[in-house]
Amino acid sequence: MGKAEDIVAGLGGADNIIEIEPCATRLRTDVRDASLVNDAALKKAGAHGVMRAGAAIQVIVGPEADTLASDIEDLLE
Amino acid sequence: MSEPLTVLAPIGGRALPLAEVPDPVFAEAMVGPGAAIEPDLGMSVAVSPVAGRIVKLHPHAYVVVTESGRGVLVHLGIDTVELKGAGFELLAAEGDEVAAGTPVITWDTAAVAAGGRSPICPVIALDAPADAVRTFAESGRVEAGSELFAWQ
Repeated sequence: MGKAEDIVAGLGGADNIIEIEPCATRLRTDVRDASLVNDAALKKAGAHGVMRAGAAIQVIVGPEADTLASDIEDLLE
Repeated sequence: MSEPLTVLAPIGGRALPLAEVPDPVFAEAMVGPGAAIEPDLGMSVAVSPVAGRIVKLHPHAYVVVTESGRGVLVHLGIDTVELKGAGFELLAAEGDEVAAGTPVITWDTAAVAAGGRSPICPVIALDAPADAVRTFAESGRVEAGSELFAWQ
């Protein structure tokens, strides 16, 4: 699997992702069920860290955030 | 080991340790070590911290990669992605080759602060080991284009 697929899986799968937006260093995402988000799987997929505020999850991926976000958008369509 | 890289301050202001940036991603050096600058309030021209190619250019942030492959991230303010470019004007384009000190973005730091966001600007040695950065000025006044830190 590619990195985008691994991150989608770490976020609990495509059905769990309401919205995903990149910024310069991170993916900002809103999920339906935060308990399905697996920090260890996201780090294994290459994330530097994961920040949580309720159902708002930030996956710290560095400056490739924008290309990863568009790959993930393709997977969600 | 490659030659140490001198990274310039992209903006003028007050130098701060990265740990004082009000965003844990930068303060905990999750994307790399570096330094931070609290800008003066007003119109500010952000310049390239190193010579290289602008590989990422957002209205509020940019990454310049040197010939030897080291990437330096300049992030103009905290949570400024939410402004969607308002108050920022690009002076360069993604893919441009730039010299150290080339103007990249003009931005209004007072507008960022007036919107309730911090205009503090982290400057990051992307994916560098934590001990690879030695700051020239841990605190005090810096000008755009003055030496900020050395990347070993």
